[in-house]
Amino acid sequence: MTLITERPNPGAARPYAFPGVRRLEKHGGTVIAAHLPGQILASSVLLLDASAARESEGREGTATVLAKSLEEGTKSRDSAAYALALEGLGAELSPSVDWDTFRVGVSAPVPMLTDAVRLAAEAARTPRLDPSDVARVRDDEVTALRMDWAQPGPRADASLRKALFSADGRYSRPLHGDPTSVAAVTVEDVLAFHEAWMLRPGVLLVAGDLDALDLDALAEAAFAGTSGDPLPLEGPLGVPVPDRRRTILVDRPGSVQSTLRIGHRSPERATPDYVAMTLAATVLGGAFTSRLNHLIREVKGYTYGIRGSYGMTRRSGRFEVAAGVQTAVTGPAVADTLGEIRRTQEEGVTEAELEVARSWRAGQLSVEMQTPGAIAGALASLVVHGLPDDYYVTLRREYLEASVEQVSEAAARHLSVDGLTLVVEGDAAVIRDDLAEFGDLVDSEI
Amino acid sequence: MIGGVTSPTAPVATTGYPWPIETTRLANGLRVVVSEDRTAPVVCVNLWYDVGSRHEPPGQTGFAHLFEHLMFEGSQHVKKTEHMKLVQGNGGSLNATTNPDRTNYFETMPSEHLELALWLEADRMGGLVPALTQETLDNQREVVKNERRQRYENVPYGDAWLRLLPLLYPQGHPYHHATIGSMEDLNAAALETFQAFHQQYYAPNNCVLTVVGDTTPAEVFALAEKYFGGIATVDGIPPAPDGSLPEPATEPAVETVTADVPAPRIYLSYRTYPFGTLGYDAVTVLATILGSGRGSRLYQRLADGSRIAQPDYIGSYGVDLAHAPAPLIITATAKDGVSLETLEAGLADVIQSLIDEPVTDEELNRAKALLTTAWWRQVSTVGGRADTLGRYTTQFGDPSAAADRLARWLAVTAEDVTNAAAETLRPESRVTLTYVPGEPA
Repeated sequence: MTLITERPNPGAARPYAFPGVRRLEKHGGTVIAAHLPGQILASSVLLLDASAARESEGREGTATVLAKSLEEGTKSRDSAAYALALEGLGAELSPSVDWDTFRVGVSAPVPMLTDAVRLAAEAARTPRLDPSDVARVRDDEVTALRMDWAQPGPRADASLRKALFSADGRYSRPLHGDPTSVAAVTVEDVLAFHEAWMLRPGVLLVAGDLDALDLDALAEAAFAGTSGDPLPLEGPLGVPVPDRRRTILVDRPGSVQSTLRIGHRSPERATPDYVAMTLAATVLGGAFTSRLNHLIREVKGYTYGIRGSYGMTRRSGRFEVAAGVQTAVTGPAVADTLGEIRRTQEEGVTEAELEVARSWRAGQLSVEMQTPGAIAGALASLVVHGLPDDYYVTLRREYLEASVEQVSEAAARHLSVDGLTLVVEGDAAVIRDDLAEFGDLVDSEI
Repeated sequence: MIGGVTSPTAPVATTGYPWPIETTRLANGLRVVVSEDRTAPVVCVNLWYDVGSRHEPPGQTGFAHLFEHLMFEGSQHVKKTEHMKLVQGNGGSLNATTNPDRTNYFETMPSEHLELALWLEADRMGGLVPALTQETLDNQREVVKNERRQRYENVPYGDAWLRLLPLLYPQGHPYHHATIGSMEDLNAAALETFQAFHQQYYAPNNCVLTVVGDTTPAEVFALAEKYFGGIATVDGIPPAPDGSLPEPATEPAVETVTADVPAPRIYLSYRTYPFGTLGYDAVTVLATILGSGRGSRLYQRLADGSRIAQPDYIGSYGVDLAHAPAPLIITATAKDGVSLETLEAGLADVIQSLIDEPVTDEELNRAKALLTTAWWRQVSTVGGRADTLGRYTTQFGDPSAAADRLARWLAVTAEDVTNAAAETLRPESRVTLTYVPGEPA
């Protein structure tokens, strides 16, 4: 048997290009479209300034209940007729809520897209919102959240968010609310949210073969019957990081794993350090060969996987490490995690590690952006963060040009091992004593 | 755009695979499939090894999957962890999966790194054993045990699949045990067993190499010969145990689990037909009519109609296994205050309706439209396309057979669905797995 011993060198790289972007102001709204010649499917997203951040205190989850109520019939057809009309096109609606937007997404074969967008807009602009349906959807959502909160993770996530964003109102509560806040949502809350935020034109994103799509017809479908000007944007929330570490224990009796959520605040998406921070987090906990995954999975065998990243929205950001580790090694796993965060903060990254991170992030812009859905998501980032149409070409270049000094400086500036909040969700009776060494320990109220 | 459309509710595709396919076979038996597409500067390399958990003998459950982990831990010319570093460090995405039928390995790379990907795959096909150490085995055994905890043990209802398989398939059947295996068997795994496993199954003549994307058949064929051509054929690869079964089952099976779960849930399951048969095509359409989307019978009747089931947790789907009658799984979770008896009776009624109430044109067209979109989504990436071609080559000997699947779904009639339901969804063939909230026994 003979194997080739020499690792081959790369061939010539083709230049990177993001699909051509077209903008159209028509029928009162803006269409931003990416041309994907030959693609059989097309994706569209109606992007509305109706994020979870617009919900009232104590009624967190209002937008999510609205999202789930959109398909309970419209002014012109009942829920069964709506489902048949949409699914008969091969399309399914995917309404979603995040910290910056309310999105109504739909994908279909290219010839069906305009009809699918018309139906998506019908649901978004003129939902029936019959009070008994809304109340039932709300109750179902409470049950669904209870189901979800029975899994490891949501309580830990909520505990960390509450600790990190305690002074920031809506941002201190879970994105989709919790079973109690959703139970408090009234039919009037949902109707008022729709009335207040869902009737401005917004932006329609389209990714598909534009030679076969009529953007004017899509704009008409998306913006019919809408009015109002875009809302003013609010500024960033700041980056308070406490001066001492604290640990929050979430009891999950009998758990065979401990769920770790370890983090602190960081700048929002618009930070000039975005590229350097992303690369630093990639070295620390992003790539499979990252410091955290290497040590805690590949060397120690404590976990199936561990990730560290910056999550950044338009107004806020946070650094977070997430993992599930075997109960018996919870203490050692936390200690090793803190050790790698400290090393990255204090010593920065090496050229060899950074080379992996640079190439991976740059390559992913091609590898992970093949589908209309992925391209539509990329267009959404341009809109939410006010980025230019050629942004991804710039981003790729910045990834490839980032230096060890820049990335190490970003790690020093935007990691704070001594300001971390450690949330550990697991069998408290077993792991409590192991957590004492990591700072003030309190039991979660969630 | 390939595949014309005749009306908004009845999409007709002339082919489900409108890209070129070229194949060759190396002298050592490695089948090579290439599908060129210059749209994006990316290429996917995908290997299907025709070995899965169905090949595992008693006492060695979970070995095929644990072995998959070992394939990332270095080979003759690739140091431990270097595989991941080289793929990600050159911009790629990678993974591998094991199921009862087979094990697949794949990486999508910027296309200038095609040769690197082929070198890495050849090195671990031909040179894994010299790099396999006890330390690596011990470490990955712990990782897999953590995977088992995370996916199956620490999650409400997480072990449903582990419980359904032995109810669906008799002792000794290749699908009787789950791919993740048992903790006991994993603990007993010896290094020699894995060395032998590789030598037995990780052979060029037990593999299909598929490359899709920004390259040419000529380039791939030449590189395949260069990197894989020197790897020796393995003779006498033992076949998996016979999976044939009298279809359908004649005795119902019932299991009730009391566990720390948030609501009562029922899984009903049936053995149907092997993936790839006309019968399974009918089951695929049936599953979509029954339980996919808000327009499905289950949603319309139990979530929206009688409102006994939670709308987010109701549905049905087939598990696409090819070497024995494949399972259809139907699941529903009770709404607050709804008894398990009510839910089970409701499910039974809807299932019986597939036999008693003809499928309407509207239902059939809805299902076909959803399946059409699902098909095109599956082949919308070079990775999805490569895996599809690898499957059809491995399981049916012909990658171009992939082009027929969509057309065959679209050719299914209402009568085909009724017949499939009448034959496979009988009460006496039913597997019922029920979760009841409470203190585990």
